[in-house]
Amino acid sequence: MPAIFEKAEPYLFLTPALAILLVFLIFPLFWNTYISLHDVSLTTILREWEYIGGTNFINLFNDPNFHTSLKITLMFVGGSVALQFGIGMLMSVLLHQQVRASGVLRAIFIIPWTISAVIAAFSFKFILDYNFGILNYLLNGIGLQSVGWLSDPNIVIWSLVIANVWYGTPFTILFLTAGQLSINPTIYEAAVIDGATKIRSFIHITLPLLKPFIVINLILITMWSVNFFDIQLIMTGGGPLFASTTASLYMYRQAFEFGLLSKGASAGIVLIVINLSIAFIYHKLFRR
Amino acid sequence: MIQKTATRNPKVWFFAERTLIYALIAVFLFITLSPLVWVLSTSLKPNTEAISFPPKLLPENPTIDNYLFVLTDPTLARSLINSFIISIGSTALSVAVSSLAGYAFARFEFKGKNVIMSVILGLFMIPIVINIIPLYTMLANFNLLNSLVALMLTFQILIIPLNILLMKNYFETIPKELEEAALIDGCSRLGVLRRVTIPLSMPGFAIAAVLSFRFSWNEFILPVVLANRSDSMVFQVALYQFISLYRIDWGYLSAGITLSIIPVLVLMLTFQKQMIKGLTLGAIRE
Repeated sequence: MPAIFEKAEPYLFLTPALAILLVFLIFPLFWNTYISLHDVSLTTILREWEYIGGTNFINLFNDPNFHTSLKITLMFVGGSVALQFGIGMLMSVLLHQQVRASGVLRAIFIIPWTISAVIAAFSFKFILDYNFGILNYLLNGIGLQSVGWLSDPNIVIWSLVIANVWYGTPFTILFLTAGQLSINPTIYEAAVIDGATKIRSFIHITLPLLKPFIVINLILITMWSVNFFDIQLIMTGGGPLFASTTASLYMYRQAFEFGLLSKGASAGIVLIVINLSIAFIYHKLFRR
Repeated sequence: MIQKTATRNPKVWFFAERTLIYALIAVFLFITLSPLVWVLSTSLKPNTEAISFPPKLLPENPTIDNYLFVLTDPTLARSLINSFIISIGSTALSVAVSSLAGYAFARFEFKGKNVIMSVILGLFMIPIVINIIPLYTMLANFNLLNSLVALMLTFQILIIPLNILLMKNYFETIPKELEEAALIDGCSRLGVLRRVTIPLSMPGFAIAAVLSFRFSWNEFILPVVLANRSDSMVFQVALYQFISLYRIDWGYLSAGITLSIIPVLVLMLTFQKQMIKGLTLGAIRE
C-alpha cells in the first residue's frame, strides 16, 4: 500500500461523519450569528437580507416578554434539575440496596425516557385538563377546588416542571445506576466491617466515587432543561400569554409563530451564552 | 424513642429500613406507570366515554376503534410510514458513519486526533435547538424543506457525536492482536474488517442502533420546523397537528400515543443491559 494512502486512511474514515457535522451542526451555528445581524422574516426569507447591525438584540432586550422568559427559564430549570437529580439519585441508590426484582424495576423506571417528549406532554395535558382531567377529579373527590393547572399563570410553569420531571428523571436513574455499578463492591464490604452505617458509607464512599457521573449528569440535565421546549410547546404553547414561555420556546415562537427569524436567532445567541455559562459554572464548582 | 429501640435491636432496624425502601420504590413505581396506564385505558374507550365525567379507570365498553381510526386515517398512517422510513434510514446512516469514525479513533494514530475528538465531544454539548433557525433558512434556500432525506441528514447531528464515542470505546475492547493475526495470515485490510472486526463488534452496533432509533423516532422539534407538510410529516408531528385539526379527540390521541410508544419500548427493554454497560463505558473512559 502506498505510504500516502496509509497516512490518509484515518482521515478517510473520519470524513463522512465530519462532513455531516460540519454542514448541519457547525456551519449553522455561525450562520445563526449572521441571521441575527440581518432583518429576516418568514416572508422575506428568499429575498435579499438587509444588514441591520445590533437592532435585533436591542429589540430583544427591550422586550418585556423576553425578560419574563428568562425568569420563567430559571424557575423551570431550577425546579426540573433539583427534582430530577434528587429523585433520580434517591431511586438509583435505593435500587442498589439488594432490592428484589431490581432488574425489572429498573426496566420499568426507564420507560418514560424511552418515549418521546410529545407523548409525555400529551399524557400530562390530558391528566391536568381543567374540565375532565383526572387530577382535578381526584381533588374534587377530597373536597378541594379544581386547579387551573395549565391556565393559571402562576401555576402553569410548575405543571410543566412536573411533566418534565416525570419525563427526564429516568435518565438520571439510568446514568447514576451505571455509575454505581462501576464502583467495586468490595469497598462497601470493607466499610461494613469497619462498622460504617449505610448513610455514612453513602456520604464517604458512594458520593466521592460517583462524582464524575454526578457532574456530567448535572451538566446534561441542566442544559436539556434550558434548551428543550417540546413539553412547553405542546402542553401550553407558551401560554397563557407568555407565562410558560421559557427562553428556548421564546426563540421558537419569535421565529415560527411571529415569523421574526432574525429576532429568534438573536435569542438563540443569548441561549448559547447561557449554556456556556452553565458549563463554566459547573466546571468551576466541581473542580477538586 | 423509636430511634433508640431500633439501634438496640438490629432486626427491627433492618425491617424498618426495608419497609421504607420498598414503600418509596412503590410510590415511584405508581408515579411512573399511572400516566401510561391512564392513557392506555383511555385508548380503549369509545370517544364519548373518554371525556365522560366522572372519569372511569377501566373502559366500560372496550373497543379498538381508536386504533383502527389512527391506522386508517390517511395523514396519520402516512406519517407512521414516514417515521419508519426516516428512523431506519437515519439509524443505518448514523451507525455506518459513526463506526467508521470510531474505528479511526480506536485504531489509528494521526495528526490532530485529540483535537478532533475534543471538538466532537464539545459538539455533544451544543443544544441542537439553537440550530433550528439557521437550518430552516438553509433548507428553505435549497428548496429542501419537507424532504425526508434532508430530515435524515439533520437527525444525524443528534446522534453522531454520542455514537462515535460509543463505537470508539467498543472497538477498543476488541484486542488489536486479533486483527494483526488475520493480517499476517494474508487477509487484506478490508477483509479484516469484514471477517474479524465487524462480527466481533455486533453488540456495539446494536447499542448504537437502538440509541439512534430512539432519537430519530422521538425527535419532534427538528421535523416540526423542517417538515410539516402533510405528506412529509413524521408521526410525532402528525400527533401534534392532530390537536389543531380536530378538537382534541382524546380517544384517538391516546391510541396514537400508545402506538408510538411500542417500537422504542420493545427495543429499549430488549437491550436494557447493554445500554447500561454502554453508558458506563462511555462515562468512565471520559
